[in-house]
Amino acid sequence: MLLYLARRLLWTILVVLVVMFVTFLVFFKLPNGDPALRFAGKSPTTASLAEIHKRLHLDKPFYVEYGYFVKNFAVGDDQGWPGLGYSYGNYVSVRSEILERAPRTLFLVAGAATLWLIFGVAIGVLSAVKRRTWIDRVAMGFALFGISAPVFWLGLMSLFVVWKKLGLTGGSGYVPLSDGIGAWFSHMILPWTVLALLYIAIYARLTRNNLLETLGEDYIRTARAKGLSERTVIFKHGLRASLSPIATIFGLDIALLVGGAIITESVFNIQGLGWLAFNGAITQDLPSVLGVVICTATAVAVMNLVVDVVYAFLDPRVRYA
Amino acid sequence: MKKPFGRLVALAGVVAAIVVATAAGATAHSNKASSIKSGGTLNVGWEQSFGFTDNMDPTGEYLGDAFGILDNLLVRTLVGYTHNADGPGNAIVADIATTVPKPTNGGLTYTFKIKQGVKFSPPVNRQVTSADFVTALEREANPKDGAQYAFYYKPIKGWDAYAAGKAKSISGIKTPDASTIVFTLTTPTGDFLKRLAMPAAGPMPVEVTKCFEGQPGKYTADLISTAGYMIKGIDEVDISSCANIKPAAGYDGQTILDVVRNPNYVKSTDPTRKNYVDEVKFMVNASNVDIYNKIESGQLDMATSSIPPAVLKKYATSSSKKQYFHQNSGDRTWYITMNLTQAPFDDIHVRRAMNYIVDKDALRQGWGGPTVGDIANHLVPDALFGGQLKSYNPYKTPGNHGSAALAMKAMKGSKYSTGNSGMCDAAACKNVLLVSDTRGVDPGMVATLQQDAKKIGITFKVRQINGAYPTIQTPSKNVPISERPGWGKDYADALTFFLPLFDGRTIIANGNTNYSLVGVTPAQCKTLKIGGNCTGVPSVDTQLDKCSVQIDPARTTCYENLDKYLMTNVVPWVPWMWSKVTRITSSNVTHYQFDQFATTPAYAMISVK
Amino acid sequence: MTAAPTTVGGVAPQTVTRSGFELFWLRFKEDRAALLGAGTIGVLIVIAIFGGPIASAVTGHPNTEQYQQIMQDSFGLPKGPTSAFWFGSDGEARDLFVRTMYGARTSLIVGVVASGIAVLIGLVVGMIAGFYRGIVDTILSRTGDVMLAMPQLLISIGIVAACSSNKNGCVIAGPIAIQPGLALVIAVIVIFSWPYIARLVRGFTLSIREKEFVEASRSLGASDTRIIFREILPNLSGPIIVYTTLLIPQSILFEAALSYLGLGVPPDTASWGGLLNDAQRYYDTAWWLMFFPGLFLVITTLAFNLLGDGLRDALDVRAER
Repeated sequence: MLLYLARRLLWTILVVLVVMFVTFLVFFKLPNGDPALRFAGKSPTTASLAEIHKRLHLDKPFYVEYGYFVKNFAVGDDQGWPGLGYSYGNYVSVRSEILERAPRTLFLVAGAATLWLIFGVAIGVLSAVKRRTWIDRVAMGFALFGISAPVFWLGLMSLFVVWKKLGLTGGSGYVPLSDGIGAWFSHMILPWTVLALLYIAIYARLTRNNLLETLGEDYIRTARAKGLSERTVIFKHGLRASLSPIATIFGLDIALLVGGAIITESVFNIQGLGWLAFNGAITQDLPSVLGVVICTATAVAVMNLVVDVVYAFLDPRVRYA
Repeated sequence: MKKPFGRLVALAGVVAAIVVATAAGATAHSNKASSIKSGGTLNVGWEQSFGFTDNMDPTGEYLGDAFGILDNLLVRTLVGYTHNADGPGNAIVADIATTVPKPTNGGLTYTFKIKQGVKFSPPVNRQVTSADFVTALEREANPKDGAQYAFYYKPIKGWDAYAAGKAKSISGIKTPDASTIVFTLTTPTGDFLKRLAMPAAGPMPVEVTKCFEGQPGKYTADLISTAGYMIKGIDEVDISSCANIKPAAGYDGQTILDVVRNPNYVKSTDPTRKNYVDEVKFMVNASNVDIYNKIESGQLDMATSSIPPAVLKKYATSSSKKQYFHQNSGDRTWYITMNLTQAPFDDIHVRRAMNYIVDKDALRQGWGGPTVGDIANHLVPDALFGGQLKSYNPYKTPGNHGSAALAMKAMKGSKYSTGNSGMCDAAACKNVLLVSDTRGVDPGMVATLQQDAKKIGITFKVRQINGAYPTIQTPSKNVPISERPGWGKDYADALTFFLPLFDGRTIIANGNTNYSLVGVTPAQCKTLKIGGNCTGVPSVDTQLDKCSVQIDPARTTCYENLDKYLMTNVVPWVPWMWSKVTRITSSNVTHYQFDQFATTPAYAMISVK
Repeated sequence: MTAAPTTVGGVAPQTVTRSGFELFWLRFKEDRAALLGAGTIGVLIVIAIFGGPIASAVTGHPNTEQYQQIMQDSFGLPKGPTSAFWFGSDGEARDLFVRTMYGARTSLIVGVVASGIAVLIGLVVGMIAGFYRGIVDTILSRTGDVMLAMPQLLISIGIVAACSSNKNGCVIAGPIAIQPGLALVIAVIVIFSWPYIARLVRGFTLSIREKEFVEASRSLGASDTRIIFREILPNLSGPIIVYTTLLIPQSILFEAALSYLGLGVPPDTASWGGLLNDAQRYYDTAWWLMFFPGLFLVITTLAFNLLGDGLRDALDVRAER
């Protein structure tokens, strides 16, 4: 068990390193212009560019620069540990940028995840229980729509209808909690809903399928034959078994959204970590991109581990091969 | 890199001189002096991020919006501006210096006397002396400190030697006593006073800046003010040793800049700044929609932000909102750049034809129509010439809509046009690479240009790049044409356009601003790996050198003639708009004023309820 | 189409005369939702081929013509639907109806071509990994794992930016270069979608190669090549059809997302995602600009998802999760 976890952890760390390296390579080797230009003013000179190259270590081969990056990360820089360097965009430390933006993303993801877990599972169960009724069909039709509709379209439409026309919520942009919980909530409710919709759809379909499969298994039949109520059968026996795959993807989905809610953050102008990474990518701000990639990768690694532990705990039969 | 949007008011120079008194009210609707009062907080929204180029460190910072903050609120200079709109706002007046000196020694020597009673803000708390200007300029000269416009000070004797580390001081800057500073130049420089009015030349206390040597952008968090305000919390910073210095609380580089009154400021030493409000807060906000909602409700008073088209329309047309709608000249030209080495634009006939065929009005319409700016007819905004070229329009077309007939006439004789067809029908005219950006306005501009150019036989292969500048600024990429560029003045002198944009000697491999490659030589083409037709590219280098040493009024005339020469004999661009700066204020703002030097609101001259 | 004797996990055919296809068709023709999806796709294909030119001819508005005088107000704001402009104007004062019709072409080409190439690569890699197992399997599967862990959008941005800033596009080797535009978008989608297919194919291959008929074939002395092409490939056809159908809407959404972020096809090429990018600028005023392109986008993805689900049921394909 412990050995298995150690191996999983090692593999995850390796994947994180490879992902970081490839990201680094793509943005370093395939540049759309020189980051030094950002600090050289409107009318750069060759000398001033050379000076900035030196300052940012851009004059070194890429592996040396990657070395600097890993070293700073491991040992820390003048901003403390972990050292993520300075943004090429505004020369603010990436660490403080991330700390500034992380709460937005975490609020967004946490709210959406709560919604999609509750509604996704509920709809899935309802659909499975009322299999082949109109409820099932409506629910699955809705799920199919959720999978098919792009977040940016739903986002724009919901902003126009709910905010602009009906005036029920706040508009785009992020309002910090310090501006009042009401304002914060009214700006978050649309992003939560829109981001959650896709996952509600996925989770509903998954729950329904898993539950139907489980309900077909022998031990459920036995339970039914014992005369247990349908409610007990479904919720006590069926649901528990069919939820473990959901737990697996739930952890990973949340982790991936830490830096991956780019489109949602962009539509609603939330400017969290996803936006930071996106903006960094289009402005060749390598340190910002890498900073967010590290956050996401770490989240994935941690979540993987948590999921493994939880899974093993829930289902001791799992054989680790 | 300054934000776009600004108005060019083509006031005749004479008129400009007369309206000094009314200049404060040059904006469309400003309020009577009686409604001005002191006190209150001015809340300024800032879209997305500050976007500073050096974290607002005066030594390096090159963003116009930052000039507006530094110049109005934090940094005084030897000579400065009046923080007014239009012509008067571009005129030089004495600030820390007692008077504006006249150059002596054939334009090579400038001697300044410093006023008594100008003090640094807490925690430095001492009198500003001539040595503090030397500190600032040495920082500007030291390449390790992140200067971004050091080239403006190169005419100072000994500058290069100091910058290269070959001298301990800049020999051309002398301080005979604590209140006298003497500059010696190697060549007459007609706009030298305006260069000294840049924030980088404002005094700095060495006891603080020495802690930030070789760390560009770090000094800002502990910027020691000389003007009416200071960064909040700077008075609590311990400067007894470098290790003790912590950033002041009022500025975090990302979300907030908060300035409060500087207790050491002596109003009587400052002829221009009014400093009405008690506090100015600049706050970053993710969404421009949110910003303008807050301005409407009074939570914010104004913003450095793009204005959503619907908001712009509301304020520009509603009679009750119009009083909150302010437009001024942005002193900025938007243009289509054509590469003089790349076919078919290596032929002046084609470049002239392009000037005739482009529907400038349609381009502007795509940006939001006449509210956004005025149609540009030549290179440098009229305001920098005092309006002398107001009626100069060498490629006039009806309604600025472009004219196929005139374009085809101009095309005749081109090597890319067979016979006298007036059409660009050679293979070089087909699928010409056009580099565009991914801004919201770019697709519309591209569509307009494709539609127009087709009429004279030119078709484009469009390349849309998120952030097109780095590509356009690399000569070896051989970009034939781009509709992306815009250029704003650094200060009110045409040199700030001509020097970076048309000097063949400044062309570099990376970060080149002479996109059209005016004056490029075959030798440069070889070293810079430019693959194109590099022989016989027209150059204006000698004219540039002639103009830069002149002093007004001959200087302006010289640049006017250069503008005309470039428009008719070189034709590197299709200039199409001089943009305006539009600001929307809340009902709290009782007096609004525009700072023409920085093309931002004159924060020191604005009052709130 | 091959007449495979059985489908994976399916019931063995009762008679040889009732082919897999007949079985499939019996089930499929009862699935009204899937038939609706198929019909809609048929209509969309017609629109993709003829829709643009016909719309242009009917309205008299060429694809790229701007109508600033009629369709924009003096502040450059687009105007809504009129009798001449059925869908109103796009952000550049072009006929949105015509642009939307032309957009179908872009979406379908990207969706079909990108999915096709991804499936081809995924099929080859997945079959090799699943059939030969061992070290080959480990390497290929791990590569796939890493690819799936990549921050897709960010890497895509990096690649697109790098390829766009070069006159000749992204030179892969010698004269082979990918030009920005459709080809690049397709390449980016392929890079990130083949691992999914490869993983699925590997799973199916693993289970098929253990089946009796493969054993039988092997004992009769069939070569690896023969087994792969005669036994395994035909049995993969069901899953391939299903997952290609389900990959197409994903690819269409990916293209739309890239174009929405301003990184997709060039601005003169009509694309639904590109039109939605326009809509972002005017989301509080120009509802038509988000509504129509988005509606077509959703209908398209929905149709493919309906068809895919129907095919999955009819072919009785279950992923080996």
